Amino acid sequence: MSVAIPLVEHFARGLDAPICLTWELTYACNLACRHCLSSSGRRDPAELSTAEAKAVIDELERMQVFYVNIGGGEPTIRPDFWELVDYATAHHVGVKFSTNGVRITPEVAGRLAASDYVDVQISLDGATAEVNDAVRGEGSFATATTAMEHLAAAGFGGFKVSVVCTRHNIAQLDAFKAIADRYGAQLRLTRLRPSGRGADVWDELHPTAAQQRELYDWLLAHGEGVLTGDSFFHLAGYGEALPGLNLCGAGRVVCLIDPVGDVYACPFAIHDAFRAGNVRHPGGFAAVWRESELFRTLRGPQAGGACAACSAYDSCRGGCMAAKFFTGLPLDGPDPECVKGFGELRLASVEPGSAPKPSLDHSRPATAVPVTLQRRRPPDRACDENPLTLTVR
Amino acid sequence: MPSPVLDRAWALAPQVSVRPEPFGALLYHFGTRRLSFLKDRRLLAVVQGLADAPTARAACTGAGIGPAEIGPYERALARLTDTAMLEERRP
Amino acid sequence: MEKTAAPTAPETAPPADDEELVEEDLLVEDVSIDGMCGVY
Repeated sequence: MSVAIPLVEHFARGLDAPICLTWELTYACNLACRHCLSSSGRRDPAELSTAEAKAVIDELERMQVFYVNIGGGEPTIRPDFWELVDYATAHHVGVKFSTNGVRITPEVAGRLAASDYVDVQISLDGATAEVNDAVRGEGSFATATTAMEHLAAAGFGGFKVSVVCTRHNIAQLDAFKAIADRYGAQLRLTRLRPSGRGADVWDELHPTAAQQRELYDWLLAHGEGVLTGDSFFHLAGYGEALPGLNLCGAGRVVCLIDPVGDVYACPFAIHDAFRAGNVRHPGGFAAVWRESELFRTLRGPQAGGACAACSAYDSCRGGCMAAKFFTGLPLDGPDPECVKGFGELRLASVEPGSAPKPSLDHSRPATAVPVTLQRRRPPDRACDENPLTLTVR
Repeated sequence: MPSPVLDRAWALAPQVSVRPEPFGALLYHFGTRRLSFLKDRRLLAVVQGLADAPTARAACTGAGIGPAEIGPYERALARLTDTAMLEERRP
Repeated sequence: MEKTAAPTAPETAPPADDEELVEEDLLVEDVSIDGMCGVY
């Protein structure tokens, strides 16, 4: 009883519904991380209403999407955040939400610990305040740590600590693991992409080739129980593949729903070139997922182009399309971080400034980076210029 | 041949969501957050028939699986019990 | 009796009861819910 088609091939051709997806609830954020993939900061005036959001959840339930990763911006500062989380879990859609920790009080942590169907992911990009806050802003390490303390104290085992790997934190992998262990959490290491504001800092922050190898070796040696969101499938070109499907899930098994209802192939590809449709149009999300031209194309055979003759191609599949797109590389060529160095070579012939810019920018105007967080009164809700910057005690 | 898996009664754990697919099915356990992929439509039929069958072996027969082919199905069911996708049904 | 010259071709594997084939023939595969790229 042998199987004719490998599992991964079924997924590459796309399924009738996503297995999971990322849903950015708001572009508002109390932070201004330098590498933000969604260029978040300010709420968009056209964001989905509570009723519209519930209609999306109804669709996800009908389609049997198993879980949504709710993010943003900072999703917990949307006034209806908890209402929507409860609605999702009551409608058989599991929730993991990604947060910088700003609203994870002891009371909230207790509620979360008592719920079976809500998972929490705390963002952390440095094992020390010095490294973390250089990217995420002063005080953000403290906010995240406090949130983790509250979750641990409330008995929430196994929440996620999610790291974007950069040039400045590759040396801290053991320390990240220690932090996760200290709080009874699960470490998650993910790839920096040149998406959103990430494009502006990618040259400065993406790991060097040597560091990328170091990361790969670390994952093989110490990565038991460390999640990666399959974000390092381009490293399969080194040899042994890391755990995961090892393929680009965009438009095939995952996608992004953004705060205004636009559907993109993935959260790292917020650009008109990867926009499949909008949930507000007739047929809603299901119609976009099943019928959009973009997704139909992604689910078909992909041109290996320049990569097809490479011995590593079967493993790396040409890498990440978002990473290629936002560095100005052709999609049918090497990933900018191709383990054989072909991407770096190809980048040399990309004209400076010619790489596509993100289609949207909800960044808050800032005169200096990193942003200094100050304690403020809760703002008037009608004002979307100053999202809540309350630090959790 | 007696089997600890085939000779018992099983059912899908209540927190498991089954999503049929053209090539088999996806199973997701909301409690363990485990995702399993069934690579065979007849295996899906077996799994769906377990709750009403006196034994797993009977569920296999009901799905048209004869004794000569039952080996892989037994191993698959054993795996699903290991990962808590299936729980034993006590009469 | 061992062959000493050219490497021998692997013997045809015995039928499905052989332990080594079990993993490949397993009709169930576990995939981490976090194992799909495109979810941050």
